[in-house]
Amino acid sequence: MLKLVVNRLGLGLLTLLAVSVLIFICTQILPGDVASAVLGNQATPEALAAFRKELGLDVPAYLRYLHWLWGAVQGDLGVSMTNKRVIIDELLPRLHNTFFLAGYATLLAIPLSVGLGILAAINEGKLIDRAANVVTLITISIPEFFIGYLLIILFVVNLDWFPSLATVFPGISFSERVYITTLPAIALTLLVAAHMLRMTRSSVLAVMSSPYIEMAFLKGATRSRVIVRHALPNAAAPIITVVALNIAYLVVGVVVLEAVFVYPGIGQLMVDAVSKRDVPVIQACGLVFAGVFVFLNTLADVLVILVNPRLRHQR
Amino acid sequence: MAMNDTHSDSGLVLDRRQIITGAAALGLSATFGALPAMAQGTPKKGGTLRMGMEGGSASDSLDPRTYADSIPIAYSLMFWNTLVEIGTKGDATPELAESWESKPGATDWIFNLRKGIKFTSGKTLDVDDVIYSIGLHRGDTKSPAKGLLEPIKEMKKLSPTQLQIILSAGNADLPYILSDYHMIIVPNGTKDFSKPDGTGAFTLEEWNPGVRIVGKRKPGNYWKPGRGNFDTVELRYIGDAAARTQALVTGQVDAVNRLDPKTVKLLMKNKNIHVSRSKGTGNRLAFVALTDVDPFKSRDLVLAMKYGIDRQKIIDNVYSGYATLGNDHTIGPALKYYDAKQKQRPYDPDKAKFYLKKSGYTGPIELQVSEGAYSGATDSGVLFQESFKKAGGNIELKRVSADGYWDNVWLKAPFCAVYWGNRPTADLQLSQTFLKGQAWNDTHYDNPKFDKLVIDARVELDETKRKAMYAECQHLLSDEAGMICYAIGDQMDGGSTKLRGLEPHARYDMNDERLAEKGWFA
Repeated sequence: MLKLVVNRLGLGLLTLLAVSVLIFICTQILPGDVASAVLGNQATPEALAAFRKELGLDVPAYLRYLHWLWGAVQGDLGVSMTNKRVIIDELLPRLHNTFFLAGYATLLAIPLSVGLGILAAINEGKLIDRAANVVTLITISIPEFFIGYLLIILFVVNLDWFPSLATVFPGISFSERVYITTLPAIALTLLVAAHMLRMTRSSVLAVMSSPYIEMAFLKGATRSRVIVRHALPNAAAPIITVVALNIAYLVVGVVVLEAVFVYPGIGQLMVDAVSKRDVPVIQACGLVFAGVFVFLNTLADVLVILVNPRLRHQR
Repeated sequence: MAMNDTHSDSGLVLDRRQIITGAAALGLSATFGALPAMAQGTPKKGGTLRMGMEGGSASDSLDPRTYADSIPIAYSLMFWNTLVEIGTKGDATPELAESWESKPGATDWIFNLRKGIKFTSGKTLDVDDVIYSIGLHRGDTKSPAKGLLEPIKEMKKLSPTQLQIILSAGNADLPYILSDYHMIIVPNGTKDFSKPDGTGAFTLEEWNPGVRIVGKRKPGNYWKPGRGNFDTVELRYIGDAAARTQALVTGQVDAVNRLDPKTVKLLMKNKNIHVSRSKGTGNRLAFVALTDVDPFKSRDLVLAMKYGIDRQKIIDNVYSGYATLGNDHTIGPALKYYDAKQKQRPYDPDKAKFYLKKSGYTGPIELQVSEGAYSGATDSGVLFQESFKKAGGNIELKRVSADGYWDNVWLKAPFCAVYWGNRPTADLQLSQTFLKGQAWNDTHYDNPKFDKLVIDARVELDETKRKAMYAECQHLLSDEAGMICYAIGDQMDGGSTKLRGLEPHARYDMNDERLAEKGWFA
């Protein structure tokens, strides 16, 4: 089993390396480079050449890649081309914000959706099952910015419970931070809940038709006890995978909600960098996103191996 | 500018192309219903101004050679000043320069600096600082203001407070050029701009581009009486128009820029909010055709389209009425040399039909539009298509990506959407867009008579003659050029009714981006 886990970790690292190559290639084929983006259309060819040289854009691409990769491994992501700030200094506070919000939303979403999923499975076909399904389907079908605005209308304009701006600053207290990020966290929860709920419900129900479950029923166990004690552990693998995917989404896919709630996360940083063709910042953000995705998926794989009784108990 | 799709629709976006945007509504007061500052009472000190603005990004910098949008202009003017300020009505007024004069021919200028002005570091302002600061944008530089300063041949220090500027060709508008926001005055030799050392009312407290910038008032009296009143100024980046409006309504900020024309009517009903509308000072919204490419070589075809666009309908439906009719050139009604007597081109399907027939062109006309060109370009294109259909014309709309629009479509596609920003003078407004050989002549307009008029008007000191020359330019463009400029936008800011100093301005939003310095709380 240890071998399996090590395998997964190795594969994860390889994926990350491959993604870093892809990110580098993609940023190279973006139309227009930072020199023309910064200098504007009126720039003379000489000015462009001088600026490219200043930025090191005249070196062959593979050398730039190796240089960048070597730096990235050591935690040096370079300097922004547009405002000359050290990227890691710019990235870390925003990354912290993004992780904070994703963590907050995860804490709300997982108990809610897994719990509701189990409840729905226990009460299959009953009112609570249908209601949970319909409500979460509705929330996943509404565009995320619209959910954001609906929450603002309800909780900011009508009830006046929360602020509509979720802008957090360095030096803000933890409780204040939790308070002002509550609305975006609720919006994110509504976005990811349906997927996790439905997966929990259906994988639990899939296991329910197995012979050993029938056996458990025959022993006289109640439906809820059968589900929680016997079915759930065996249904865990697909649930873990889906949960990991959704947490990854909470980190990398929330740029629209960042705009609605004016939240200084990493998504906005990347969008700004793309529009200015600030390649080192795009690469850094891309690498972070890829890293989060690969890490969470690898973690999910490892957890799936660990919870699988057949893999856990060596023959 | 190419922003992401999610909030590029939140108002008209300035971008790097706008080397200097600004109006010179010299002496034109009817357009601006501004309350005079006196009517708003005596300025009071204290309080924290919280502004929520669009027009900046996480990649913003304090280096004046990089400014290109509202937020950098606004924070730079908290810390620094320029030689010349633009007054509410668009006139050049003294700032760090106390006075100026030129010899006849407008090639030889003298600027007298205000005496005893101190930087934060304690250093006294002198001519060397000014020469260095202007020099940042000359020679081997990537500053967008470089083109503006090309006419400067020499800058000489006559005394510590007297500067002589000699131009290679006369230009009566030099003071306006020096009011450009890139030309902030920094101490001689400044290389690192990250710790602003300026003559402005505030010092930098927190630098967090893309999130917020915080400034603190300097101790002691600011050298401008009645200005620099707030203890603290907090400038927040709020790129989403709905979020910005919401923040204002719920009192989380005191003032916002670029209100959405679609919702501003509702906002005006709110008793706690004051909307400041600067009419006809916004972007010139246009479709441009390259007149040396078929089928637009035919002047009749272009004229047919100019008669075939229902301008009022676009303004009413796309911009909810918050725009002024355009007359196929870029001189706005707030500019000094705007020719008010020129007849407004109406929507006339019969005339359009006549010119279309005369042109002999019957095929489809492809028009490339994108929200990356300006907000509302696509909807305007659709309405144009409809109204031109009534004249028998056939426009095919091609929607293109917002990202990379200025690199890949503008200046390259034969017929596409473009906006032109407000410029401080008629000369700048016309020469960059319509002179032959200019890189940004996006209609390939080529008329030696027009070129001569523009260049001669630049040094013409007789006001009547100059006005007549610019009037003729406007007529020529309206009849001949490939630009269908159908509207000029309004700039709209909103503020709490407790806030004073948020007045309409002839140039930029937020009272020429100087609200931090000019405002106070009642």
